[in-house]
Amino acid sequence: MSNGGNLAALLPLLIFMAVMIGIGFYVRQVQARGFGRNFVQQYFIGNHDLGGFVLAMTTVATYSSVSSFVGGPGMAWQIGFGWIYMAVVQVTAIFLVLGIFGKRVALLSRKFDAVTVVDIIRERFQSDGLASLAAFIIVLFFCATMTAQFVGGAKLFAAVTGYSYEMGLLLFGLAVVVYTTVGGFRAVALTDTCCALIMMVGIVLLLYHVLLAGGGYSNLMANLHLNHPEMFEPFSGGHMPAGLYLTQWILVGICTIALPQSVVRGISYKDTASLHKAMLIGTVVVGFMNIGINFTGILAHGVLTGDLASYGGVDNIIPKTIVTVMPPALVGLAIIGPLAASISTISGLLIVASSAIIKDVYLHQQHKKGKEPGTKQLRLLSMLATAVIGVVVFIIALTPPSLIWIINMFAFGGLETAFFWMLLLGLFWRRANKLGAILSMGGGTVVYCLTQGMGFKVMGLHQITIGITASLLFFLLGTYLGKPQDEQVLNEFFPHRKN
Amino acid sequence: MTDWEKYQQIRREAAYTGLALLVLILFWCWAGFGLADVEMEIFGLPLWAVTSSIGVWLFAIVLVKLLLKFVFRDMPLDEEKGAEEHE
Repeated sequence: MSNGGNLAALLPLLIFMAVMIGIGFYVRQVQARGFGRNFVQQYFIGNHDLGGFVLAMTTVATYSSVSSFVGGPGMAWQIGFGWIYMAVVQVTAIFLVLGIFGKRVALLSRKFDAVTVVDIIRERFQSDGLASLAAFIIVLFFCATMTAQFVGGAKLFAAVTGYSYEMGLLLFGLAVVVYTTVGGFRAVALTDTCCALIMMVGIVLLLYHVLLAGGGYSNLMANLHLNHPEMFEPFSGGHMPAGLYLTQWILVGICTIALPQSVVRGISYKDTASLHKAMLIGTVVVGFMNIGINFTGILAHGVLTGDLASYGGVDNIIPKTIVTVMPPALVGLAIIGPLAASISTISGLLIVASSAIIKDVYLHQQHKKGKEPGTKQLRLLSMLATAVIGVVVFIIALTPPSLIWIINMFAFGGLETAFFWMLLLGLFWRRANKLGAILSMGGGTVVYCLTQGMGFKVMGLHQITIGITASLLFFLLGTYLGKPQDEQVLNEFFPHRKN
Repeated sequence: MTDWEKYQQIRREAAYTGLALLVLILFWCWAGFGLADVEMEIFGLPLWAVTSSIGVWLFAIVLVKLLLKFVFRDMPLDEEKGAEEHE
Protein backbone atom coordinates (compact mmCIF):
# COMPACT_ATOMS: atom_id res chain seq x y z
CA MET A 1 0.00 0.00 0.00
CA SER A 2 2.60 2.51 0.98
CA ASN A 3 5.24 1.63 -1.60
CA GLY A 4 3.35 1.62 -4.87
CA GLY A 5 1.31 4.70 -4.10
CA ASN A 6 -2.23 4.66 -2.87
CA LEU A 7 -4.55 5.69 -5.68
CA ALA A 8 -7.53 6.00 -3.34
CA ALA A 9 -5.55 8.57 -1.40
CA LEU A 10 -5.22 10.77 -4.45
CA LEU A 11 -8.83 11.06 -5.47
CA PRO A 12 -10.20 13.11 -2.56
CA LEU A 13 -7.19 15.38 -2.79
CA LEU A 14 -7.68 15.91 -6.51
CA ILE A 15 -11.33 16.72 -6.01
CA PHE A 16 -10.53 19.12 -3.19
CA MET A 17 -7.89 20.95 -5.21
CA ALA A 18 -10.23 21.14 -8.20
CA VAL A 19 -12.87 22.75 -5.99
CA MET A 20 -10.30 25.26 -4.69
CA ILE A 21 -9.28 26.23 -8.22
CA GLY A 22 -12.95 26.37 -9.17
CA ILE A 23 -13.54 28.89 -6.38
CA GLY A 24 -10.66 31.00 -7.72
CA PHE A 25 -12.19 31.18 -11.18
CA TYR A 26 -15.70 31.66 -9.81
CA VAL A 27 -14.61 34.66 -7.76
CA ARG A 28 -12.87 36.02 -10.80
CA GLN A 29 -16.04 35.67 -12.85
CA VAL A 30 -18.30 37.29 -10.29
CA GLN A 31 -15.94 40.16 -9.63
CA ALA A 32 -15.08 40.74 -13.25
CA ARG A 33 -17.38 43.75 -13.44
CA GLY A 34 -16.16 45.30 -10.20
CA PHE A 35 -12.53 44.75 -11.18
CA GLY A 36 -12.84 47.68 -13.53
CA ARG A 37 -13.38 50.29 -10.86
CA ASN A 38 -10.87 49.75 -8.17
CA PHE A 39 -8.83 46.77 -9.16
CA VAL A 40 -6.14 46.98 -6.51
CA GLN A 41 -8.63 47.13 -3.69
CA GLN A 42 -10.68 44.28 -5.13
CA TYR A 43 -7.76 42.02 -5.80
CA PHE A 44 -5.73 42.53 -2.65
CA ILE A 45 -8.41 43.04 -0.02
CA GLY A 46 -11.69 41.82 -1.53
CA ASN A 47 -13.31 45.26 -1.39
CA HIS A 48 -14.14 45.40 2.34
CA ASP A 49 -16.67 42.68 1.84
CA LEU A 50 -16.06 39.81 4.25
CA GLY A 51 -18.75 38.67 6.65
CA GLY A 52 -18.08 37.43 10.17
CA PHE A 53 -17.91 33.73 9.46
CA VAL A 54 -15.52 34.03 6.52
CA LEU A 55 -13.40 36.58 8.37
CA ALA A 56 -13.04 34.21 11.32
CA MET A 57 -12.21 31.24 9.12
CA THR A 58 -9.67 33.01 6.95
CA THR A 59 -7.91 34.47 9.99
CA VAL A 60 -7.73 31.09 11.69
CA ALA A 61 -6.74 29.20 8.55
CA THR A 62 -3.92 31.59 7.71
CA TYR A 63 -2.73 31.48 11.29
CA SER A 64 -2.82 27.67 11.57
CA SER A 65 0.03 26.28 9.57
CA VAL A 66 1.00 22.78 8.55
CA SER A 67 3.22 22.55 11.61
CA SER A 68 0.17 22.96 13.86
CA PHE A 69 -1.04 19.76 12.24
CA VAL A 70 2.14 17.75 11.98
CA GLY A 71 5.02 18.91 14.18
CA GLY A 72 2.75 20.11 17.01
CA PRO A 73 0.77 16.93 17.62
CA GLY A 74 3.99 14.99 17.13
CA MET A 75 5.34 16.84 20.13
CA ALA A 76 2.10 16.16 22.00
CA TRP A 77 2.69 12.46 21.32
CA GLN A 78 5.97 12.79 23.15
CA ILE A 79 5.21 15.35 25.88
CA GLY A 80 1.61 14.64 26.78
CA PHE A 81 -0.90 17.05 28.29
CA GLY A 82 1.72 19.70 28.98
CA TRP A 83 1.82 20.24 25.25
CA ILE A 84 -1.90 20.96 25.01
CA TYR A 85 -1.56 23.25 28.01
CA MET A 86 1.06 25.17 26.06
CA ALA A 87 -0.75 25.07 22.71
CA VAL A 88 -4.00 26.31 24.19
CA VAL A 89 -2.50 29.80 24.62
CA GLN A 90 -3.33 30.18 20.95
CA VAL A 91 -7.00 30.67 21.79
CA THR A 92 -5.99 34.28 22.42
CA ALA A 93 -4.60 34.86 18.94
CA ILE A 94 -7.83 35.63 17.09
CA PHE A 95 -9.72 37.78 19.56
CA LEU A 96 -6.58 39.77 20.38
CA VAL A 97 -5.73 40.73 16.82
CA LEU A 98 -9.32 41.48 15.87
CA GLY A 99 -10.16 43.14 19.17
CA ILE A 100 -7.12 45.39 19.31
CA PHE A 101 -6.43 46.17 15.66
CA GLY A 102 -9.64 45.17 13.89
CA LYS A 103 -11.56 48.44 14.03
CA ARG A 104 -8.54 50.70 14.17
CA VAL A 105 -7.19 49.32 10.93
CA ALA A 106 -10.62 49.21 9.28
CA LEU A 107 -11.26 52.91 9.91
CA LEU A 108 -7.76 54.03 8.98
CA SER A 109 -7.72 52.01 5.79
CA ARG A 110 -10.94 53.66 4.67
CA LYS A 111 -9.63 57.09 5.55
CA PHE A 112 -6.41 56.66 3.57
CA ASP A 113 -7.69 54.29 0.94
CA ALA A 114 -5.13 51.83 2.30
CA VAL A 115 -4.98 48.26 1.06
CA THR A 116 -2.01 46.96 3.03
CA VAL A 117 -0.60 47.26 6.52
CA VAL A 118 2.41 48.97 4.99
CA ASP A 119 0.12 51.67 3.56
CA ILE A 120 -1.01 52.51 7.07
CA ILE A 121 2.55 52.47 8.40
CA ARG A 122 3.60 54.83 5.62
CA GLU A 123 0.81 57.27 6.46
CA ARG A 124 1.43 57.12 10.20
CA PHE A 125 5.17 57.65 10.14
CA GLN A 126 5.44 59.56 6.84
CA SER A 127 8.44 57.55 5.80
CA ASP A 128 9.03 55.83 2.49
CA GLY A 129 12.21 54.25 3.84
CA LEU A 130 10.32 52.62 6.68
CA ALA A 131 7.59 51.44 4.32
CA SER A 132 10.13 49.91 1.96
CA LEU A 133 11.90 48.20 4.82
CA ALA A 134 8.57 46.80 6.03
CA ALA A 135 7.71 45.56 2.54
CA PHE A 136 11.15 43.95 2.23
CA ILE A 137 10.85 42.17 5.59
CA ILE A 138 7.39 40.92 4.63
CA VAL A 139 8.48 39.53 1.27
CA LEU A 140 11.67 37.92 2.63
CA PHE A 141 10.11 36.22 5.63
CA PHE A 142 6.92 35.29 3.84
CA CYS A 143 8.81 33.54 1.06
CA ALA A 144 10.73 31.48 3.59
CA THR A 145 7.56 30.62 5.48
CA MET A 146 5.75 29.67 2.30
CA THR A 147 8.61 27.40 1.31
CA ALA A 148 8.43 25.67 4.67
CA GLN A 149 4.68 25.19 4.23
CA PHE A 150 5.19 23.72 0.77
CA VAL A 151 7.88 21.36 2.03
CA GLY A 152 5.86 20.32 5.10
CA GLY A 153 2.80 19.56 3.01
CA ALA A 154 4.68 17.70 0.31
CA LYS A 155 6.62 15.60 2.82
CA LEU A 156 3.40 14.62 4.54
CA PHE A 157 1.88 13.77 1.18
CA ALA A 158 4.82 11.55 0.25
CA ALA A 159 4.93 9.80 3.61
CA VAL A 160 1.24 9.01 3.65
CA THR A 161 0.35 8.24 0.05
CA GLY A 162 3.58 6.62 -1.12
CA TYR A 163 3.78 8.94 -4.13
CA SER A 164 6.77 11.17 -4.62
CA TYR A 165 7.48 14.44 -2.87
CA GLU A 166 7.58 16.25 -6.21
CA MET A 167 4.19 14.95 -7.18
CA GLY A 168 2.67 16.17 -3.95
CA LEU A 169 4.21 19.57 -4.46
CA LEU A 170 2.88 19.68 -7.99
CA LEU A 171 -0.60 18.66 -6.92
CA PHE A 172 -1.35 21.04 -4.13
CA GLY A 173 1.41 23.58 -4.73
CA LEU A 174 0.36 24.58 -8.19
CA ALA A 175 -3.28 24.61 -7.16
CA VAL A 176 -2.69 27.19 -4.45
CA VAL A 177 -0.63 29.41 -6.75
CA VAL A 178 -3.28 29.21 -9.46
CA TYR A 179 -6.32 30.03 -7.34
CA THR A 180 -4.57 32.82 -5.45
CA THR A 181 -3.32 34.39 -8.67
CA VAL A 182 -6.65 34.17 -10.43
CA GLY A 183 -9.04 35.10 -7.66
CA GLY A 184 -7.01 37.36 -5.38
CA PHE A 185 -7.89 38.00 -1.75
CA ARG A 186 -11.55 37.10 -2.08
CA ALA A 187 -10.64 33.66 -3.39
CA VAL A 188 -8.09 33.32 -0.58
CA ALA A 189 -10.78 34.08 2.00
CA LEU A 190 -13.30 31.64 0.53
CA THR A 191 -10.82 28.81 0.04
CA ASP A 192 -9.49 29.45 3.55
CA THR A 193 -13.00 28.93 4.85
CA CYS A 194 -13.25 25.59 3.06
CA CYS A 195 -9.79 24.70 4.35
CA ALA A 196 -10.67 25.52 7.95
CA LEU A 197 -13.81 23.40 7.75
CA ILE A 198 -11.96 20.49 6.21
CA MET A 199 -9.23 20.78 8.86
CA MET A 200 -11.84 20.32 11.56
CA VAL A 201 -13.37 17.36 9.73
CA GLY A 202 -9.87 15.89 9.35
CA ILE A 203 -9.21 16.20 13.07
CA VAL A 204 -12.45 14.50 14.03
CA LEU A 205 -11.86 11.75 11.48
CA LEU A 206 -8.35 11.05 12.68
CA LEU A 207 -9.35 11.18 16.35
CA TYR A 208 -12.13 8.70 15.70
CA HIS A 209 -9.84 6.25 13.97
CA VAL A 210 -7.11 6.58 16.59
CA LEU A 211 -9.70 5.69 19.22
CA LEU A 212 -10.85 2.78 17.12
CA ALA A 213 -7.34 1.47 16.52
CA GLY A 214 -6.39 1.87 20.18
CA GLY A 215 -9.30 -0.20 21.42
CA GLY A 216 -11.36 2.68 22.79
CA TYR A 217 -10.74 5.69 25.00
CA SER A 218 -10.43 3.97 28.38
CA ASN A 219 -8.13 1.35 26.98
CA LEU A 220 -5.84 3.98 25.46
CA MET A 221 -5.81 6.03 28.65
CA ALA A 222 -5.06 3.02 30.85
CA ASN A 223 -2.20 2.20 28.53
CA LEU A 224 -0.78 5.74 28.75
CA HIS A 225 -1.18 5.91 32.52
CA LEU A 226 0.71 2.66 32.83
CA ASN A 227 3.56 3.29 30.42
CA HIS A 228 3.93 7.07 30.39
CA PRO A 229 2.78 8.57 33.69
CA GLU A 230 4.91 11.66 33.00
CA MET A 231 2.58 12.60 30.13
CA PHE A 232 0.03 13.55 32.76
CA GLU A 233 2.29 16.11 34.44
CA PRO A 234 2.54 19.76 33.31
CA PHE A 235 6.34 19.54 33.13
CA SER A 236 6.22 16.06 31.64
CA GLY A 237 8.96 14.73 33.89
CA GLY A 238 11.33 17.49 32.74
CA HIS A 239 10.58 17.25 29.00
CA MET A 240 8.58 20.44 29.15
CA PRO A 241 10.64 23.26 30.68
CA ALA A 242 8.83 26.12 32.44
CA GLY A 243 10.57 28.69 30.23
CA LEU A 244 8.91 27.19 27.18
CA TYR A 245 5.50 28.03 28.60
CA LEU A 246 6.51 31.65 29.00
CA THR A 247 8.02 32.04 25.55
CA GLN A 248 5.09 30.30 23.89
CA TRP A 249 2.77 32.90 25.38
CA ILE A 250 4.87 35.56 23.72
CA LEU A 251 5.71 33.78 20.47
CA VAL A 252 2.48 32.05 19.47
CA GLY A 253 0.06 34.00 21.65
CA ILE A 254 0.46 37.69 22.33
CA CYS A 255 2.89 38.83 19.67
CA THR A 256 1.03 37.12 16.83
CA ILE A 257 -1.35 40.09 16.87
CA ALA A 258 1.23 42.05 14.90
CA LEU A 259 1.71 39.54 12.09
CA PRO A 260 0.92 41.51 8.92
CA GLN A 261 -1.03 38.60 7.40
CA SER A 262 -3.38 38.72 10.42
CA VAL A 263 -3.62 42.50 10.77
CA VAL A 264 -4.46 42.93 7.08
CA ARG A 265 -7.65 41.01 7.74
CA GLY A 266 -8.83 44.04 9.70
CA ILE A 267 -9.01 45.91 6.41
CA SER A 268 -11.08 43.28 4.70
CA TYR A 269 -14.33 42.92 6.62
CA LYS A 270 -17.69 44.51 5.93
CA ASP A 271 -19.02 45.99 9.17
CA THR A 272 -18.38 45.90 12.90
CA ALA A 273 -21.06 43.26 13.48
CA SER A 274 -18.98 40.94 11.27
CA LEU A 275 -15.88 41.71 13.29
CA HIS A 276 -17.61 40.93 16.58
CA LYS A 277 -18.96 37.68 15.22
CA ALA A 278 -15.53 36.73 13.90
CA MET A 279 -13.90 37.26 17.31
CA LEU A 280 -16.22 34.70 18.83
CA ILE A 281 -16.22 32.16 16.01
CA GLY A 282 -12.47 32.47 15.58
CA THR A 283 -11.85 31.76 19.26
CA VAL A 284 -14.13 28.73 19.17
CA VAL A 285 -12.50 27.35 16.04
CA VAL A 286 -8.87 27.95 16.95
CA GLY A 287 -9.43 26.31 20.34
CA PHE A 288 -11.18 23.34 18.83
CA MET A 289 -8.37 22.79 16.33
CA ASN A 290 -5.54 23.17 18.80
CA ILE A 291 -6.99 20.99 21.48
CA GLY A 292 -8.41 18.47 19.02
CA ILE A 293 -5.27 17.81 17.02
CA ASN A 294 -2.92 17.77 20.01
CA PHE A 295 -5.24 15.51 21.97
CA THR A 296 -5.22 13.19 18.96
CA GLY A 297 -1.42 13.31 19.06
CA ILE A 298 -1.42 12.22 22.69
CA LEU A 299 -3.85 9.38 22.11
CA ALA A 300 -1.75 8.25 19.17
CA HIS A 301 0.88 7.29 21.72
CA GLY A 302 -1.36 4.42 22.65
CA VAL A 303 -1.26 3.23 19.05
CA LEU A 304 2.33 4.00 18.09
CA THR A 305 4.00 2.56 21.14
CA GLY A 306 7.62 2.46 19.97
CA ASP A 307 10.19 5.05 20.98
CA LEU A 308 10.58 8.30 19.09
CA ALA A 309 13.79 7.33 17.31
CA SER A 310 12.13 4.31 15.73
CA TYR A 311 9.70 6.66 13.96
CA GLY A 312 12.42 9.07 12.88
CA GLY A 313 11.42 12.19 14.83
CA VAL A 314 8.27 14.03 15.86
CA ASP A 315 7.45 15.17 12.33
CA ASN A 316 6.83 11.57 11.34
CA ILE A 317 4.39 10.77 14.12
CA ILE A 318 1.24 12.11 12.47
CA PRO A 319 1.99 10.66 8.99
CA LYS A 320 2.71 7.32 10.67
CA THR A 321 -0.47 7.57 12.68
CA ILE A 322 -2.54 8.28 9.59
CA VAL A 323 -1.09 5.31 7.74
CA THR A 324 -1.49 3.03 10.75
CA VAL A 325 -5.00 3.83 11.88
CA MET A 326 -6.87 4.95 8.77
CA PRO A 327 -8.43 2.44 6.38
CA PRO A 328 -6.64 2.91 3.01
CA ALA A 329 -9.80 4.25 1.41
CA LEU A 330 -9.94 7.11 3.93
CA VAL A 331 -6.24 8.03 3.96
CA GLY A 332 -6.91 10.56 1.24
CA LEU A 333 -9.48 12.36 3.37
CA ALA A 334 -7.20 12.36 6.38
CA ILE A 335 -4.34 14.13 4.63
CA ILE A 336 -6.55 16.85 3.19
CA GLY A 337 -6.74 18.39 6.67
CA PRO A 338 -3.02 19.06 7.12
CA LEU A 339 -2.64 19.96 3.45
CA ALA A 340 -5.50 22.43 3.82
CA ALA A 341 -3.61 23.97 6.74
CA SER A 342 -0.59 24.28 4.51
CA ILE A 343 -2.28 25.80 1.45
CA SER A 344 -4.43 28.19 3.45
CA THR A 345 -1.32 29.65 5.06
CA ILE A 346 0.48 29.83 1.72
CA SER A 347 -2.40 31.61 -0.02
CA GLY A 348 -2.72 34.15 2.79
CA LEU A 349 0.98 34.96 2.69
CA LEU A 350 1.20 34.92 -1.08
CA ILE A 351 -1.45 37.58 -1.60
CA VAL A 352 0.10 39.83 1.06
CA ALA A 353 3.60 39.40 -0.39
CA SER A 354 2.25 40.24 -3.81
CA SER A 355 0.46 43.32 -2.46
CA ALA A 356 3.72 44.44 -0.86
CA ILE A 357 5.41 44.42 -4.24
CA ILE A 358 2.59 45.91 -6.31
CA LYS A 359 0.96 48.33 -3.89
CA ASP A 360 3.75 49.23 -1.51
CA VAL A 361 6.61 49.42 -3.97
CA TYR A 362 5.49 49.61 -7.60
CA LEU A 363 2.31 51.71 -7.32
CA HIS A 364 3.89 54.01 -4.80
CA GLN A 365 6.82 54.68 -7.13
CA GLN A 366 4.44 55.34 -10.00
CA HIS A 367 2.36 57.76 -7.94
CA LYS A 368 5.48 59.59 -6.88
CA LYS A 369 6.31 60.10 -10.53
CA GLY A 370 2.77 61.36 -11.00
CA LYS A 371 1.74 58.37 -13.10
CA GLU A 372 -1.45 56.39 -12.73
CA PRO A 373 -1.15 52.95 -14.35
CA GLY A 374 -4.23 51.80 -16.26
CA THR A 375 -6.49 49.11 -14.86
CA LYS A 376 -5.50 46.66 -17.55
CA GLN A 377 -1.85 47.10 -16.79
CA LEU A 378 -2.43 46.84 -13.04
CA ARG A 379 -4.46 43.70 -13.42
CA LEU A 380 -1.73 42.09 -15.46
CA LEU A 381 1.05 43.17 -13.12
CA SER A 382 -0.78 42.13 -9.96
CA MET A 383 -1.51 38.67 -11.26
CA LEU A 384 2.00 38.42 -12.63
CA ALA A 385 3.51 39.36 -9.26
CA THR A 386 1.39 36.78 -7.44
CA ALA A 387 2.19 34.08 -9.97
CA VAL A 388 5.92 34.85 -10.04
CA ILE A 389 6.31 34.81 -6.25
CA GLY A 390 4.28 31.61 -6.10
CA VAL A 391 6.27 29.88 -8.80
CA VAL A 392 9.62 31.01 -7.39
CA VAL A 393 8.73 29.68 -3.95
CA PHE A 394 7.44 26.51 -5.57
CA ILE A 395 10.75 25.99 -7.37
CA ILE A 396 12.73 26.70 -4.22
CA ALA A 397 10.61 24.11 -2.42
CA LEU A 398 11.63 21.44 -4.95
CA THR A 399 15.18 21.47 -3.57
CA PRO A 400 15.19 23.86 -0.64
CA PRO A 401 18.64 25.32 0.03
CA SER A 402 19.72 25.42 3.66
CA LEU A 403 19.53 29.22 3.58
CA ILE A 404 15.76 28.93 3.39
CA TRP A 405 15.64 27.00 6.65
CA ILE A 406 17.75 29.62 8.33
CA ILE A 407 15.47 32.41 7.13
CA ASN A 408 12.42 30.39 8.07
CA MET A 409 13.74 29.90 11.57
CA PHE A 410 13.90 33.69 11.86
CA ALA A 411 10.62 34.38 10.13
CA PHE A 412 7.92 34.06 12.76
CA GLY A 413 9.69 35.84 15.58
CA GLY A 414 11.33 38.23 13.14
CA LEU A 415 7.99 39.43 11.83
CA GLU A 416 6.71 39.83 15.36
CA THR A 417 9.78 41.76 16.46
CA ALA A 418 9.54 43.99 13.42
CA PHE A 419 5.85 44.82 13.61
CA PHE A 420 4.67 44.43 17.20
CA TRP A 421 5.64 47.75 18.77
CA MET A 422 5.44 49.64 15.54
CA LEU A 423 1.77 48.74 15.13
CA LEU A 424 0.76 48.74 18.78
CA LEU A 425 2.49 51.97 19.74
CA GLY A 426 2.13 53.56 16.33
CA LEU A 427 -1.63 53.17 16.32
CA PHE A 428 -2.35 53.87 19.98
CA TRP A 429 0.36 56.25 21.16
CA ARG A 430 0.36 59.79 19.83
CA ARG A 431 3.97 60.41 20.73
CA ALA A 432 5.32 57.47 18.68
CA ASN A 433 7.40 58.77 15.80
CA LYS A 434 9.34 57.85 12.70
CA LEU A 435 12.76 57.48 14.31
CA GLY A 436 11.38 55.17 16.97
CA ALA A 437 9.64 53.04 14.37
CA ILE A 438 12.71 52.76 12.15
CA LEU A 439 15.02 51.91 15.06
CA SER A 440 12.52 49.43 16.46
CA MET A 441 11.88 47.65 13.19
CA GLY A 442 15.45 47.66 11.91
CA GLY A 443 17.31 47.34 15.20
CA GLY A 444 14.92 44.91 16.82
CA THR A 445 14.91 42.57 13.85
CA VAL A 446 18.70 42.63 13.58
CA VAL A 447 19.11 41.93 17.31
CA TYR A 448 16.59 39.11 17.10
CA CYS A 449 18.20 37.47 14.08
CA LEU A 450 21.72 37.88 15.45
CA THR A 451 20.94 36.39 18.86
CA GLN A 452 19.03 33.56 17.25
CA GLY A 453 21.73 32.99 14.67
CA MET A 454 24.38 32.77 17.38
CA GLY A 455 22.14 30.75 19.67
CA PHE A 456 22.51 33.35 22.40
CA LYS A 457 19.84 33.09 25.08
CA VAL A 458 18.99 34.86 28.30
CA MET A 459 17.99 32.45 31.08
CA GLY A 460 17.50 29.76 28.47
CA LEU A 461 14.50 31.56 26.97
CA HIS A 462 13.66 31.73 23.27
CA GLN A 463 15.19 34.75 21.52
CA ILE A 464 11.79 36.34 20.94
CA THR A 465 12.11 37.64 24.50
CA ILE A 466 15.32 39.46 23.56
CA GLY A 467 13.95 40.63 20.22
CA ILE A 468 10.74 42.06 21.59
CA THR A 469 12.54 43.78 24.47
CA ALA A 470 15.22 45.27 22.21
CA SER A 471 12.54 46.38 19.79
CA LEU A 472 10.68 48.20 22.57
CA LEU A 473 13.82 49.87 23.90
CA PHE A 474 14.81 51.03 20.40
CA PHE A 475 11.32 52.38 19.92
CA LEU A 476 11.35 54.41 23.12
CA LEU A 477 14.88 55.63 22.46
CA GLY A 478 14.01 56.83 18.97
CA THR A 479 10.75 58.36 20.10
CA TYR A 480 12.35 60.48 22.78
CA LEU A 481 15.39 61.40 20.68
CA GLY A 482 13.48 62.23 17.53
CA LYS A 483 10.86 64.87 17.00
CA PRO A 484 7.13 64.10 17.01
CA GLN A 485 5.24 63.64 13.75
CA ASP A 486 3.51 66.65 12.20
CA GLU A 487 0.40 67.75 14.05
CA GLN A 488 -1.56 67.45 10.84
CA VAL A 489 -0.69 63.78 10.47
CA LEU A 490 -1.33 63.06 14.12
CA ASN A 491 -4.75 64.68 14.01
CA GLU A 492 -5.73 62.27 11.27
CA PHE A 493 -4.77 59.35 13.47
CA PHE A 494 -5.74 60.73 16.85
CA PRO A 495 -8.71 63.03 16.31
CA HIS A 496 -9.42 65.84 18.76
CA ARG A 497 -12.72 66.22 20.49
CA LYS A 498 -13.70 69.15 18.29
CA ASN A 499 -12.72 68.34 14.79
CA MET B 1 -20.36 59.07 16.14
CA THR B 2 -17.65 61.62 15.52
CA ASP B 3 -14.12 60.53 14.70
CA TRP B 4 -13.13 61.43 18.22
CA GLU B 5 -15.88 59.33 19.75
CA LYS B 6 -14.97 56.42 17.52
CA TYR B 7 -11.34 56.62 18.52
CA GLN B 8 -12.22 56.78 22.23
CA GLN B 9 -14.43 53.73 21.83
CA ILE B 10 -11.74 51.84 19.92
CA ARG B 11 -9.16 52.63 22.58
CA ARG B 12 -11.54 51.40 25.22
CA GLU B 13 -12.15 48.19 23.33
CA ALA B 14 -8.43 47.62 22.80
CA ALA B 15 -7.70 48.25 26.48
CA TYR B 16 -10.40 45.86 27.62
CA THR B 17 -9.17 43.25 25.15
CA GLY B 18 -5.76 43.58 26.78
CA LEU B 19 -7.39 43.25 30.17
CA ALA B 20 -9.18 40.10 29.02
CA LEU B 21 -5.78 38.73 28.00
CA LEU B 22 -4.46 39.37 31.49
CA VAL B 23 -7.42 37.69 33.12
CA LEU B 24 -7.02 34.74 30.77
CA ILE B 25 -3.31 34.43 31.62
CA LEU B 26 -4.15 34.35 35.33
CA PHE B 27 -6.87 31.75 34.77
CA TRP B 28 -4.46 29.75 32.61
CA CYS B 29 -1.84 29.70 35.39
CA TRP B 30 -4.39 28.58 37.94
CA ALA B 31 -6.12 26.02 35.71
CA GLY B 32 -2.84 24.29 34.88
CA PHE B 33 -0.04 24.76 37.39
CA GLY B 34 -2.45 25.70 40.18
CA LEU B 35 -4.47 22.53 39.93
CA ALA B 36 -1.62 20.21 38.95
CA ASP B 37 -1.44 18.56 42.36
CA VAL B 38 -5.14 17.95 42.83
CA GLU B 39 -5.77 14.23 42.96
CA MET B 40 -9.20 14.33 41.33
CA GLU B 41 -9.77 12.69 37.95
CA ILE B 42 -12.21 13.49 35.15
CA PHE B 43 -12.63 11.15 32.15
CA GLY B 44 -9.59 9.24 33.37
CA LEU B 45 -7.49 12.42 33.26
CA PRO B 46 -6.03 14.43 36.11
CA LEU B 47 -8.16 17.50 36.80
CA TRP B 48 -5.55 19.99 35.57
CA ALA B 49 -5.31 18.31 32.16
CA VAL B 50 -8.99 19.06 31.60
CA THR B 51 -9.16 22.54 33.10
CA SER B 52 -5.99 23.68 31.34
CA SER B 53 -7.21 22.63 27.90
CA ILE B 54 -10.97 22.61 27.47
CA GLY B 55 -11.30 24.77 30.58
CA VAL B 56 -9.08 27.54 29.19
CA TRP B 57 -10.82 27.32 25.85
CA LEU B 58 -14.30 27.69 27.34
CA PHE B 59 -13.08 30.45 29.63
CA ALA B 60 -11.71 32.34 26.61
CA ILE B 61 -15.04 31.98 24.82
CA VAL B 62 -16.88 33.36 27.86
CA LEU B 63 -14.42 36.27 28.07
CA VAL B 64 -14.98 37.14 24.42
CA LYS B 65 -18.73 36.98 24.94
CA LEU B 66 -18.44 39.37 27.87
CA LEU B 67 -16.26 41.72 25.85
CA LEU B 68 -18.76 41.75 23.03
CA LYS B 69 -21.70 42.28 25.32
CA PHE B 70 -20.33 44.97 27.60
CA VAL B 71 -17.48 46.71 25.81
CA PHE B 72 -17.66 46.39 22.05
CA ARG B 73 -20.07 48.67 20.19
CA ASP B 74 -21.15 48.79 16.59
CA MET B 75 -20.04 51.82 14.62
CA PRO B 76 -20.19 52.93 10.99
CA LEU B 77 -16.88 52.30 9.25
CA ASP B 78 -17.37 54.55 6.25
CA GLU B 79 -15.96 58.03 6.39
CA GLU B 80 -18.94 59.85 4.89
CA LYS B 81 -21.47 58.69 7.44
CA GLY B 82 -19.30 59.70 10.34
CA ALA B 83 -18.37 62.99 8.71
CA GLU B 84 -21.95 64.12 8.14
CA GLU B 85 -22.70 64.16 11.81
CA HIS B 86 -19.93 66.49 12.81
CA GLU B 87 -19.55 68.42 9.58
